[in-house]
Amino acid sequence: MFPRPIEKAGPGARIGYQLLLPFVLIIWLLPLLAIFATSIRSGADINAGNVFGWPGEFAMIENYVAVFTRSQASMYFINSILITVPSVAISVSLACLAGYALAIYRFRVALPLFFLFVAGNFVPFQILMVPVRDMSVRVGLYDTIAGQFLFHAAFQTGFCTLFMRNFIKALPFDLIESARIEGVKEWRIFWFVVLPLVRPALAALAVLIFTFVWNDFFWANVLTQGESAKPITAGVRALNGQFVNNWHLVSAASLIAAIPPVIMFFLMQRHFIAGLTLGAVK
Amino acid sequence: MANVTIDNVIKRYGSVQVMHGVSVDIEDGEFVVLVGPSGCGKSTLLRMLAGLEEISDGTISIGDRVVNDVLPKERDIAMVFQSYALYPHKTVYDNIGFPLKMAKRSQSEIDDKVTKAADILDLTKYLKRYPKELSGGQRQRVAMGRAIVRDPQVFLFDEPLSNLDAKLRVTMRIEIKELHQRLGTTIVYVTHDQIEAMTMADKIVVMRDGRVEQIGSPLDLYDNPDNVFVAGFIGSPSMNFVHGKIATEEGVRVFVSDSGLKLPLPETTARDGQEITYGIRPEHIQIGPGGVEMDVVVVEPTGSETQIFAKAGKDLIDALVKERINARPGSKLGFVINPADVHLFDRASEQRI
Repeated sequence: MFPRPIEKAGPGARIGYQLLLPFVLIIWLLPLLAIFATSIRSGADINAGNVFGWPGEFAMIENYVAVFTRSQASMYFINSILITVPSVAISVSLACLAGYALAIYRFRVALPLFFLFVAGNFVPFQILMVPVRDMSVRVGLYDTIAGQFLFHAAFQTGFCTLFMRNFIKALPFDLIESARIEGVKEWRIFWFVVLPLVRPALAALAVLIFTFVWNDFFWANVLTQGESAKPITAGVRALNGQFVNNWHLVSAASLIAAIPPVIMFFLMQRHFIAGLTLGAVK
Repeated sequence: MANVTIDNVIKRYGSVQVMHGVSVDIEDGEFVVLVGPSGCGKSTLLRMLAGLEEISDGTISIGDRVVNDVLPKERDIAMVFQSYALYPHKTVYDNIGFPLKMAKRSQSEIDDKVTKAADILDLTKYLKRYPKELSGGQRQRVAMGRAIVRDPQVFLFDEPLSNLDAKLRVTMRIEIKELHQRLGTTIVYVTHDQIEAMTMADKIVVMRDGRVEQIGSPLDLYDNPDNVFVAGFIGSPSMNFVHGKIATEEGVRVFVSDSGLKLPLPETTARDGQEITYGIRPEHIQIGPGGVEMDVVVVEPTGSETQIFAKAGKDLIDALVKERINARPGSKLGFVINPADVHLFDRASEQRI
C-alpha cells in the first residue's frame, strides 16, 4: 500500500511525526486562534498592546453580546442568508440544466458555448467593478439584496456550469440512451436518472458556492451603500467606530460570520458519497 | 412482435461513408445475429435500428412502419447494452420497473410485470439489491428484465456477453436462447464472437467494412461460405487456406500450391491454370495412410481432440481429429482430405467458385 501507514515506520520516524504534527497543526490554526484570542479580550487589553499575550481579563460573553447590541449584526446576518441562499439555488440549478445540455446534446455551438463558460471564469472580476455598479444603478438594483444575489448568481453560474457539465459528461452515456429507448422523456431522464447520480457534485458545488458568496466582501462593498442591504462580511466594519477600532468586537463578529459555511459543510456531508455510479456499467 | 426490414441502408459521418447499402430481411420471431470483426458496422447498424444513430440513406421498417424519422421511444423496441446500463441508484426492482413507472402504469401492473420478469430471469431473491451488489451475470439478467417488462416488438442486444467470463458466457448464451424460445419475440443480436453467432442464431448476417458478406443459417454459412472472409470467420479453429493453381496430371485434376503441395480436388468448373484459394476445415482432415504427407510442427492435445499443425514447403495446415495422436514435431503424418469437404475460391475476387 502506498503511502505506507505511519504505524509501520521506524520508531524514530514515528516519534518525530508525533512531535511535529501538533506543532504544524498549531501553525496551521494560528490565524484562527489569534482571532479567537482577540475576540475574548477586552478592548482595554488591545489598547494596552497586549495583542498576543495572555488576556488581562476575559470578556467573551460581553464581546459576543456586544456584536449584536452595538451593531445591526442580526440584520447583516439575515441579509447574508438572503443573498447567499438564492445565489446558490439559482446558480446551481441553472448550471445543472446548462451542464446537462452541454454534456448530453450534440449541437453545433455546444463546444464554443462551453468554452465561453470556461473563458468567463478567467475574467478578473475587479475589472467589472465599475460597469457592474453602473448597470445595477441603472436597473434600480443598486443597494438591494436582489441586486447582490442576481449578480452573484450570474458570476457563479459560469463556473458551476463548467463543473456540472464535466460531471454529467463523466456519467455512462449508455444510461441516457437506455432511458431514451425505454421511452423516458428527456426532462424525466434529467430528473430521475441524471440528478440522483450527480448528487455528490451538487452537494460539493453548493458548499463551494455558498462559501464563495457568503465570504464575499468585494461585491458587498461595490453594490451597497447604506446598511440595509449589507451582508455580514461588509457589516462587521461598522463595529469599528469612526475614531475607535474595536478589534475584539470585529474578531467576535468574524467568527460568528464564519459559522454558516461550516454548518453548510456538515449538512451536505452525507451527500458526498464516492462511487455512486458503481454497478451502472460492467 | 414484428418483422424488420433493413433496405439499402447507408451511413455517412460527414463525407466519410462507413456503411454501403446494407439490406437484411428479418422475419417475425427470428433470432438474427449480426457478426463481424470490430469496425465492421454491426453496432452502428443496431444503433440505427434503435434510433440512436441517424440513417443517412435507405430505410428501416419495423412491422410495416418506416422508422427512419421515428424517435427511439416510439419504435417499440428494447435494447440491452454491452455495459448493461443499469441505474446504480435504483434497486433491481426499481430498475426493472422504471420503464413502466415512466409510462405511468398502475402500481399493481408494475408489481405484476416485475415479479413475472424476475421469476423468468431467476432474480426474485435480488429484487431489493442495488446493481453494485450483483455479479456480472445477475446484472446482465437485470438488464434483460428491464427489456422484457416492456414487451417490445423487437429486442436488440449489443454484445451483451462480452463483459462476462468464459463460463458464464456459455450459461447466459443458453439463457438468452431459452428466453427467445419462451417469448418468441424478434431478436437482433450483435456480437464479434462467431461461436455465439453459430450457437444462438436462426440467421446470421456476416458483416465486414460496412457491407454484408453473407446472410444465412449457421450451418448454411459453415457448409457453403460465399467467400474467403466468411469461410475464415465462421468455424473454429478457422479454415485452412492454401494458395495455388489447378492442374491436370496424368489425366487427374489436382490442386498444386505455390510451393508445390498437391491436394485432391472436388468436381469443379475451374479451368486448368486458374489461380485458386483452396480451403479445407481442420475438422474435415483425417490422419492416416494414403494422405498427403506433411511435417508435423506442433501437436496440441486437449483431451477430447487433438490439433495438429503441419507444414509442407511454405504451406501450413492444421487438422483437428478426435483420436489421440502421438507425433513428435518433425515426424511425418498423412493428411487425408475428402474432396467433397474442399471449398474453392477465386484467388483474386475471393469469391466461391
